[in-house]
Amino acid sequence: MDGTTPSIDFAAIGHQDSWQNISAFVNSIRNTGQGKLSCEKIKDIFGFISPKEIFRIKARSKTGTEINGVYIETFIDPDKLHSQFVRANINKVLAAASRAKRLGSKMVTLGGFTSIVLEGELESLSTRETKFTTGNTLTAAFIVKGIEKAAERLGISLHQSDILIIGATGDIGMACANYMKSRANKLLLCARNYQRLEKMAGQLVKEKIKIDFSVRLEDLLPQAKIIIAVASSMDIKLNHCNKNVLICDAGYPKNLENNIIYKKDVHLFHGGMGQVSGGYDFSPDYSRSIYHYEAPHLVHGCILEAMVLAFEKRFESFSSSKGNITTDKMEEIYRLSMKHGIGLAPLYNSKGLW
Amino acid sequence: MESVIIQSLKKGELTMEEFNVISDIFSQAITGELIGMSNFASLAETIDDPHEKMEAVEHANSERMHAEGFLAYARKKNLKINVNMNGEYWGNVRKQFLKYAHNRDFTACLIIQEVMLESFAISMYNDVGHALGGEAGDLFISIGNEEKEHLEHSSDLLCAELKKDPAAFESKFEEIHFNCMSILAEFSATTDLRGHCGVCNGDCMKGSLHHVGLDIVTLRGNAMAIYEEALDNIGISGEKSIIWMARLPA
Ligand SMILES: NC(=O)C1=CN([C@@H]2O[C@H](COP(=O)(O)OP(=O)(O)OC[C@H]3O[C@@H](n4cnc5c(N)ncnc54)[C@H](OP(=O)(O)O)[C@@H]3O)[C@@H](O)[C@H]2O)C=CC1
Ligand SMILES: [Fe+2]
Ligand SMILES: [Fe+2]
Repeated sequence: MDGTTPSIDFAAIGHQDSWQNISAFVNSIRNTGQGKLSCEKIKDIFGFISPKEIFRIKARSKTGTEINGVYIETFIDPDKLHSQFVRANINKVLAAASRAKRLGSKMVTLGGFTSIVLEGELESLSTRETKFTTGNTLTAAFIVKGIEKAAERLGISLHQSDILIIGATGDIGMACANYMKSRANKLLLCARNYQRLEKMAGQLVKEKIKIDFSVRLEDLLPQAKIIIAVASSMDIKLNHCNKNVLICDAGYPKNLENNIIYKKDVHLFHGGMGQVSGGYDFSPDYSRSIYHYEAPHLVHGCILEAMVLAFEKRFESFSSSKGNITTDKMEEIYRLSMKHGIGLAPLYNSKGLW
Repeated sequence: MESVIIQSLKKGELTMEEFNVISDIFSQAITGELIGMSNFASLAETIDDPHEKMEAVEHANSERMHAEGFLAYARKKNLKINVNMNGEYWGNVRKQFLKYAHNRDFTACLIIQEVMLESFAISMYNDVGHALGGEAGDLFISIGNEEKEHLEHSSDLLCAELKKDPAAFESKFEEIHFNCMSILAEFSATTDLRGHCGVCNGDCMKGSLHHVGLDIVTLRGNAMAIYEEALDNIGISGEKSIIWMARLPA
């Protein structure tokens, strides 16, 4: 790095989950005289592009500290998130990771799906100069805090509610279960792999937690007053939800809303998001195309975790291997986040703010 | 193992479609090599330093050898070869090159020939080589490897050039990118954006590549990826290169 480049406090590695955003992004870059590229044309090119930094980020803490970051797009094809493309996707994430190192990033977060393809095994990526985190601890914290806030608003008592976690055996799912086990009436755990589910359930039973578990979502749905959806899957169908059910959709791709049959009495919000009160700027500013939200300065919990650690100058792998998120760590990172003016995002869904 | 195509080429069992598309692939490769050869020959004229002049001639000769290699194979197999250096795309790339060569802009010439054209050659020769297999495949792969050395060598030179004055270098590169990569982008788009290339026999081979297990989307995507990698090695930032790529015709 030459002397004129500002040092990079954090890098966020991410991916897009909708062609609509990608198309808006690409066409926002094109000159007005050039005409727009059709989505089909963009699909022909997008997946071939190698991971690279596409914009810089400047974020401000309420303490007055300012940090410099960069967003690295993996250019993973949104239609190729399935396991059959795992090798190619791992290569893209690894290429993005080495790009982050080469740029001199002190802290790197692997947003959304990019940490999942590495199965949370980030330890080997970190070096003395660059530390990697999944950002899942702060994401989980924002999910559960969001549930608490929404429940209060709707007059739902957590203590009397059965909470269903879809994707319970995942990194974030387990973290949410741990947090909620002493606060809810009962935990309902759902995932596809029965063995992992059974093992987790066995542990909770030992702790005398009331639970139910199933690989079949429809077995658990009738009991659920609150649902936390943290599976990265497109085929989750919420038939026959309870009336007035509260749902936190924090998984990607986001499509639970389209799969809900009874929409009227469903209170759904997109969880795992925070808001930076000190604000941030992108350069070039692509916020209208690929990072557009209903309220200003919203950011994913996973990216915010890296920002908070950078504000704190705590360059460490805060969330690394899968299954290690404790409630204490969630409270710790949430507290630090509040210290820098990063709080829970207002509740919203695809129709807008609640 | 020899691919089915080469085996049948030997036995004269090739279908008409396969014969035509293989002929067109060789025609494009030979034309491209001759463009490279001519570009270096023109460049040699603009150089004063005797050592560098000789190097340019030597380089022109290496591209000539590539063309010879492809031609020899094509003759042996009786392929229908059509060389045309003045077609819509090849001719325009050559014009662009000459414009910079006449201005004695050595850096610009390097960018066009060694970065842009070589990126496409390296990538497409590799893809074609693997698809064809056998003797023809080996020929493409071995020539592709030599082109790789050309690209690597010039990336080092250009990287040093960028460090001297990054802003001026980037703006020059950007101008050349839009002048030349736009032509290559139009050439390799799924449909000929500027009409027939003047090289393929009959309709453009793009629509027939599937007969030999290739497709233009993958060929183009891989080639653009090699070009982007080269930009990266030279030191062009991702923020810049994504804008350059998004503004190309498609
Ligand atoms: N809002 C934010 O800022 C962030 C959101 N995320 C999102 O959170 C989600 C979870 O992340 P993470 O915990 O790291 O992922 P993991 O891969 O660790 O966990 C995924 C979980 O979902 C389960 N699952 C997958 N498919 C289904 C299905 N069809 N039905 C039921 N369960 C299923 C898996 O178990 P099994 O395989 O046995 O089914 C597993 O329990 C992801 O979608 C990710 O993109 C992540 C980071 C930040
Ligand atoms: Fe050559
Ligand atoms: Fe060459």
